[in-house]
Order: sequence, then C-alpha cells, then structure tokens
Amino acid sequence: MFGPDNRGMTLSVLLVEDDEHIRQALGLALDDEGFTVTDAVSGEDALDLLKTTTFDVVLLDLMLPGVDGLEVCRALRAQGDLPIIIVTARTDASDVIAGLEAGADDYVTKPLMASVLAARIRALLRRSGRQDEVLRVGELEIQPQTSTVLRAGAEVHLTRTEFRLLVELASADGRVVSREQLLQRVWGYDYFGDTRLLDVHIRRLRRKVEADPDDPELVVTVRGVGYRVDL
Amino acid sequence: MPRLSLRWRVALVLGLGSLLLTSALAVLVWNLSSGYMQRQREQSATRQAEVNVRLVDGALRTGSDGLEELLTGLTTGPDSTVLLYRSGQVLTSGRQIDPQVLPDELVDLGRRGVPATQRLVVDGIPVLAVSLPISSADAAYVELAPLLQLDRTFRFLSVLLITGTLVSGLLGVALGSWAGRRALRPLTELTKAASLIAGGDLKARLPTQTDPDLARLASTFNTTADALEERVLRDARFAGDVSHELRSPLTTMVNAAEVLRRRRAEIPGTAGRALDLLTSEVDRFSRTVVDLLEISRADQEADDTNLEVIDLVSLVDNVLDSRPATDVPVRPGLPGPQVLGDRRRLDRVVDNLLDNAERHAGGAVRVAVLSHDGHARLEVDDTGPGVPPELRERIFHRFDRGTRAGSRGTDTGSGLGLALVAQHVHRHSGTVWVEDRPGGGARFVVELPEAHQ
Repeated sequence: MFGPDNRGMTLSVLLVEDDEHIRQALGLALDDEGFTVTDAVSGEDALDLLKTTTFDVVLLDLMLPGVDGLEVCRALRAQGDLPIIIVTARTDASDVIAGLEAGADDYVTKPLMASVLAARIRALLRRSGRQDEVLRVGELEIQPQTSTVLRAGAEVHLTRTEFRLLVELASADGRVVSREQLLQRVWGYDYFGDTRLLDVHIRRLRRKVEADPDDPELVVTVRGVGYRVDL
Repeated sequence: MPRLSLRWRVALVLGLGSLLLTSALAVLVWNLSSGYMQRQREQSATRQAEVNVRLVDGALRTGSDGLEELLTGLTTGPDSTVLLYRSGQVLTSGRQIDPQVLPDELVDLGRRGVPATQRLVVDGIPVLAVSLPISSADAAYVELAPLLQLDRTFRFLSVLLITGTLVSGLLGVALGSWAGRRALRPLTELTKAASLIAGGDLKARLPTQTDPDLARLASTFNTTADALEERVLRDARFAGDVSHELRSPLTTMVNAAEVLRRRRAEIPGTAGRALDLLTSEVDRFSRTVVDLLEISRADQEADDTNLEVIDLVSLVDNVLDSRPATDVPVRPGLPGPQVLGDRRRLDRVVDNLLDNAERHAGGAVRVAVLSHDGHARLEVDDTGPGVPPELRERIFHRFDRGTRAGSRGTDTGSGLGLALVAQHVHRHSGTVWVEDRPGGGARFVVELPEAHQ
C-alpha cells in the first residue's frame, strides 16, 4: 500500500514550486538523478494534477501564490499517506514546525542540492523490511506485512513515516531508542541537525495512538536520550 | 564600601535627621529640667538648714543641755545627717558618718562665716552638704541632705529621653524606608518591564500612571518599547525576506551547477575551465550565504526554545558518523558529560571545528569530551601549523581567515565557520579558545556549563 517498490523503477516526483528558475533547475538535476519530474506552479495546479495522476512523492514549496503550501499539505494528508517533502526557503522554527504539523514527512531548506534531495526521497520510499512479525504494544497491534495498526481491534490510520517510527520503537521491546537511531532508521540518512523533525512526528504519532496525548503512556520520552515504548 | 541603595539612603537620612532633632530637644529638656530641680532642691535644703541653724544658735546662746536632743530632732530622715563643729569637737546626729569624709574647705567656709553648699557622695549616698556659720559661737553647722529621690528622678528622666531619642531615630529610618519603597514602586515596575523586554518579551509595557510625575516616564518608556518592538519585527521581516531572496536564486544556481558538472566532459577548453571556476565559486558562495544567514539569524533570535539535555559524547559521535570522509584516530569514549543545549547549534559547533581542522591542518587527530570543573569540555586536536598567539582571538571574528587571508586556496570556506562556533558557544554560556597542542598543532577547546540532572 506504500506505492510501487522503488527498486528498478523510475520514481515519479511532483514538484510544486512557483519560482520558474528553481523549477527548471531542480527539474533538470532531479532528472539527472533518475526521477521523472512533473511540475506544478501553484497549489491549485498541484491538487488538480493529483486528481488524475499518481506520484511517488510530492516536493512542496511552502510559499505559493493562491493556496498556501501548508494548506496543500493538509489537503494531501487528508486524502492519504502520499509522502510529502517540504522544500522551503523559510528556516524559522515556527515555519518548519507548522509544515511538519501539517503532515509533511520531511523537510529540506533551500539552497539544496538535487543529490541530497534524491537521497532523502529514496530513504523515505524505502520499504522497511526488517520486521515481519506482528507486534503488540498495550492495546495496539502492529502488522508490518500489511502496514496496518489496530487499536483495540479498530484500525488506526498512520502515515508511512509514523508507522515506521512506531515499528522501530515497538521492535526495541521496551528498550530506549536514541533520537539519533530513530532519525537514521526512519529517515534513513545520517541525520544531524535539529530534532524538530522527530519531535513533531512523535507528537503526531501520540495523537493517534495514545489515549491522552498530553500524558503519553505508550510512547514515553526518556529525557536526554530518546524514546521507548511502555510494554 | 558598597554604595547603599537609594531607599536605604533616604531611610538613613530621615533616621539621622530625626535622631538629631530629638536629641537636641532631649538635651534642652534635660538641661532645663535638671537645672531647675537641682536649684529647687538646693534652695529647700538651704532654707531648712538656715531654720535649723537658728534653732541651734538659740540653744547655744541659752546654753541649754538639750543640744543633743535638738540635733536629733533636726534630722529629717534616716539618711540625713547633722554635724556641729564646735571648738575642736564634732557633734553628729542622724545617719552616722565619719566627719573626715567632709572636705575641710567646706567646714572652714562655714566656720569663717561664709555659707556654702556642695554635692558629695557619702558612704554611697549622694547628698547635698550645706555648711552654715553659727553666729553666737565659733562653730559651723553642716547638714547633709540626701539626694536619692532627686537622683532617681534624674535617672528616670535620662532613660526616658535617651529611649525617646533612639525610638524616634528608628522611626525615622522606618518611615524613610517605607516612603522610599512607596516612591520607588513605579521604578520597580519599570525595572520589571525593562527586564521583560531585555529577556525578549517585546510586548511588555508599563501600566498608565495617574501621578503626573510618573505619567511622562511611563509614556516615554512605552513609546520607546513600541518603537523597539516595531523595529525588531521589521528587522525580522527584512531578514526573512533577504533569506528568501538569497536562497531562491542559490537553489537555481547550485542545481544548474550540478547539472553542468555532470556534463563537464562535454565542455572542453576555455569554456570548461571557466565552468570549473563558476561551479566551484557557486558552491562557495552558497556556503557563505547560508553561514551568513545563520549568523545573522542567530544575532536576532532572542528565544531558545529548543533547549534539551544532551549527552555530549553521543552528539560528537553522531556528527563524526555523519561525516564518512572524516577519520579521527582518537574519539571520545562513553559516558560523557551532559549539557543543556540546542542540538542543532551544538552539532554545528562540532561540525565546523572538524571542517576547520580539515581545511587548515589536514584533519583532526583527536576529538575528546571531558568533564572538567563543572564544565563539559570538548577538545579538537590537529597536527597542523598551529595558530600564532596574536591570531588566537582574531580567527573567531567574522571573515577573518588568519594568516591565510590574501592567499585563498580553492577551498577556504565561508570565513564564518569559527565565528559561528564562537557565537553558538556563547549562546550556551560557554567559552571557546585555541591553544597549542602538546606535541605540535592546534587544540580548539570548547567549554560548556555541565547540566546536572
């Protein structure tokens, strides 16, 4: 259910960017990296395209004329778990967090190299094949083979990234998983830098799986180290 | 001596003033009343003695035998004494004392016909001695009137006056302190608002004042705060715009350069060499702009919302792991000290120090994390040429490339790497410096306050 397997297949990318030059340059460079790039010049344009065409990943600029990037992000997230990477010139903490809260899986700040972006796209689309057994945490039942999570028998809808985060935590059997390990295993590259990415995703995950997200009982913070699940 | 606060100075001045005034009044009261009472007592004692002398004189004239009884009858109380000096013999009645304790001059004056009075202490009791001549015989009459009552009154009065003076001084201090606090209360509010603003809360304002003396101060302060807030917001907006306007074309440039670099082989000769120059300069320019934006953003940001407890050893490990090309022979071992910090900034510190070692000294040979005197200490050693003492401060300045200025190689960095290190470290209340590495080379040292859990 996570789209086509990316091995041996050309990945299709929807690039939503209003700056013509950036669109062209990134398009050329991503083409060199082996992606099929489709352009959208505005949020409306992107949403229209997505009605008729399927893509493997969306690269979304936040500052768009008309429908704002955040709104596009929320609209896409409401429709499904299509991977979204925000490409933004805004570097303020509040902008980054707003983008992630709107449902983005990852973000990169301009100026970015297409090669870096390519690595992140591949990491995001990589299937996590480490775990096939059904995992149980509290009243959660995690089925890696079908990528579904049941809570007391009812399905909880998680995005690809949230799901992988939960699997990494659940398969540690209650041991602490450090922030660095989570970033490397879930986002897949040697990540260093701010941990807002992880913080926001943990928050989103808790909102979906915890009875009381403000007083988490399943995904527990270990101060100064990382997170663990409370079996 | 440390300077006293305004409030305490006001209190002390008021206390001192009150003390001076009441003590002057007390001295005046003391002098007037004690002098008056003393005189009254002397007069009454003298009058009494004069009456008595007339009786004794009469008895001596008539030569009656009842002189002893008369003298006994003349004593007014158990503490009073009457002495009669008569032709070498002394007659005493009342409280018995040794006649030797009386000064000779006093008795002589009486004998010679001159009345005299003197204050004395006889056998532990204060007395007023009145010496009078007896006209009919060559004799002197001396009466010792006790002053116990008067002295008690004086003591009571003095205690009353001294206590009153001290109390009034203390009251003055208290009043001054209270008045000072009252008067300074608006200043306390001002201080609170000002420190809120200094702490980053640009919305802090002073409440409107009704007192005309304070209304102007409050409105001036609030106008200044308004202007400051607007200025900061405008600056932040401008910085955001600059950031966007610079990052957008750079994105185009670095990606176009990447496309061109892939096709370098297709572009031979002069055009190819020009292309090399262009692409490498685009990369450097991009790094410089990003660093410049970061350093100016760090200048502006007042809040640190991303503080967390960080294990310095795992942070360093993580940065080293993310640089596969960097091979450091000696790396820190667990467990390490913890610091309270912004992970992103500290990552940048370590990364930039490693970059610096690679750029100028062939790479770091040792990265150590130590706990030292309540500080977490990071050391990055290289075996390069080291940094001469006169440049050790300058290299942390922006765009100061030390000795390499003027002879830039192909990869000189942005010139902001160490400045960013210094800035981030200072934000964490830490220090950074460079020293000689034992055995040659440079050692960059970062010290951050250790976090205690």
